[in-house]
Amino acid sequence: MAGLWWPARPAAGALRAWAPRGPHRGKTAQVPRRPLPRTPWTTRGPPPGAPLPRSWQDKRPVQEQIPGLEQVTYAGKQYFVPWLARPRLPRWERGWHDPRHSPGPRYEAMPLYKERVCYVCHQRTKMLEGVRQALWLTKTKLMEGLPPKVLSIIDEPANQLENEDERVQNAISHARVWITTELIPKRESYCPVLLEDLLHLCRTMASKYPSLSKRMLARDYKVAAAWERESSILQVRGMNGILLNAINPLLPVASKDEILATENHVLETFHPISPTIDLQEVNVYEERHDTGFREGYPYPHPHTLYFVESANVRPVRFRPEQLRAKMLMFAFGNALAKAKILYGDDPKVLEHPVVVQSIGTEGRIFQFMVFQLNTTDLASSDGVKNLVWIDSDQYMYDYIRYLPGIRKKVVKFPPGIYGYRPDTFKKFLALYLHGAVQDSTQTQIL
Amino acid sequence: MAVSSLTRALGALLLSPAPSLPQIAQHPRLVCLGGNLLPACHGFSTSSNLSTNNPMWKCRIKYTTRPVGMKKTGGRDHTGRIAVHGIGGGHKQRYRMIDFQRLRYGPGSESGSYDEKVIQIRYDPCRSADIALVAGGKQKRWIIATENMQPGDILKTSRHIGRMAVSASEGDAYPLGALPVGTLINNLESHPGKGAQYIRAAGTCGVLLRKVNGTAIVQLPSKRHMQVLETCMATVGRVSNIDHNKRIIGKAGRNRWLGRRPHSGLWHRKGGWAGRKIKPLPPMKSYVSLPTAAARA
Repeated sequence: MAGLWWPARPAAGALRAWAPRGPHRGKTAQVPRRPLPRTPWTTRGPPPGAPLPRSWQDKRPVQEQIPGLEQVTYAGKQYFVPWLARPRLPRWERGWHDPRHSPGPRYEAMPLYKERVCYVCHQRTKMLEGVRQALWLTKTKLMEGLPPKVLSIIDEPANQLENEDERVQNAISHARVWITTELIPKRESYCPVLLEDLLHLCRTMASKYPSLSKRMLARDYKVAAAWERESSILQVRGMNGILLNAINPLLPVASKDEILATENHVLETFHPISPTIDLQEVNVYEERHDTGFREGYPYPHPHTLYFVESANVRPVRFRPEQLRAKMLMFAFGNALAKAKILYGDDPKVLEHPVVVQSIGTEGRIFQFMVFQLNTTDLASSDGVKNLVWIDSDQYMYDYIRYLPGIRKKVVKFPPGIYGYRPDTFKKFLALYLHGAVQDSTQTQIL
Repeated sequence: MAVSSLTRALGALLLSPAPSLPQIAQHPRLVCLGGNLLPACHGFSTSSNLSTNNPMWKCRIKYTTRPVGMKKTGGRDHTGRIAVHGIGGGHKQRYRMIDFQRLRYGPGSESGSYDEKVIQIRYDPCRSADIALVAGGKQKRWIIATENMQPGDILKTSRHIGRMAVSASEGDAYPLGALPVGTLINNLESHPGKGAQYIRAAGTCGVLLRKVNGTAIVQLPSKRHMQVLETCMATVGRVSNIDHNKRIIGKAGRNRWLGRRPHSGLWHRKGGWAGRKIKPLPPMKSYVSLPTAAARA
């Protein structure tokens, strides 16, 4: 039974909320004895404001309207008899507050309830307009391609591993082929393994650049950042991805002139869609800034965020556009939380911009992003804007052949990786080395 | 047990202001149970449910664009007996909640006209027409697509009736009083605010014949005339999937895939119902309630 493509039935004895419980447990197969309750989705009622037709007016039965003529029920007898009517019994009150059986406080009664709505972006938020929406929400200007600083790291011949292509292809084969005894592994098994292997390859460069050892990976941490954007409160919350922390922060990638030039850029709006579409609206919230780490953590500065999109089923999986939007929002969230902690809560233009990188993958396609937070003054759409460089849809390989293609008893297409592109790993490595490599154009703090 | 309407908890949860259904106390838990416990957060490797055993799958309160698993009836009603013959089997279908009330303002948004953008047009297994996912403001919803709708179109919905008729483009929704006489319309309401119940099938369209002081007369696809108030909303254009009636089923199996069981093989002598009839058109159906004599006096 393990190979079913449809979800298996719940185990015998699983309690379903809509099914009868107690001694009538097994009677779900019967059709309901009563007509369905009337909801807006089951009725074609009269239009709002008009009186109901006489036959639909919910009249109380004659027995209830005329006192003394009520139906005789078995409520007084306290037990069921088949010839008396079914009583409308009052709801049973427990009499004391049992925390395991109480519905909980209503939203309006919670202490953090606020009238003003807040829009929250979390790790399952799939934004309709994708990167354009994230750019408006974070007041960012988009630049295509990676910044020239990072591209110059790629060009340096010293920044390459020995047998780089062979080792990367081994990593891909490990993740996609050797990881399991089944023929084709699922995405949720091969995607994280591929990322781990690539990170391991990057870490082997620590022998050449000792400052690479001053970094630490962190998983399952929660970030919190809040900001106001043209009269809407926005928040980024929750677990995002794998964060690479460093002892020293990344230096700004764009020059001062480029930052000042963003003042003239106009953010793209997309009428008639509101920029806060697809974000979760909450009334109970708390505006706080939290990088996810306490003070005194030895690796205080966020360096790179790695996003693994490993959902098996295609409707649940993030599409590349939505993955890029999620990367941008969480890179911004991490950068903003760090900036607020370093430079205070006042909205202002930062003299030392905070840079956070981000890499997202779904096993084959990589998205690279470098985000620079220039300002925390996000309430208005004018002024200095943040910058982001996005390199989207970088294929590491075209496809994997699991079975050999045999034509006329000759192996024409051997199994393995097809369409391998070495540039993608070079960019991956460059983003990893960024901040630790001696650049010829600029001296860096090691 | 009396028909328990779920109005008590509906107020804050509905898309539009609650209709005037009578307020009856009901079990609050029933509200939450409509439709598989309303999962707010799916597991990471699940998709929407394909079907459900829950007999109250269509009593969902909150609108969602995600498809809802359906429970097939087989033509049986709540007593368990066959009410309609010839229904049963067929491919599993998921119900996409279609918003037939085109003029729907969000909570607290201004009245007037607003725009919506078409995101996606797809096939709906539950009807012959195609459906379109449109987004406007902060909400997304499914509507019936019209003939030439493409993703990326901007649709306008307005309830203002001016002195001059609006030059409406296809897919826009206006009250009948604002449309020029002779436009092809679909998704027509019989009462203002009720939601479209007429002219929804694939390729159909009605014609706005004339406008008579405060009411409008529309010809339905069956050539019947219908008189409604001029504030009733209608969408302009023909419904999508216009070649639906030209398709050839081809085999009995395809009918079974559509959920149609074979007819009974018993020989019946045909009665007065059989054969072609040539009759005059039935009289015009008027949904305009004129004030009673007592009110006029």
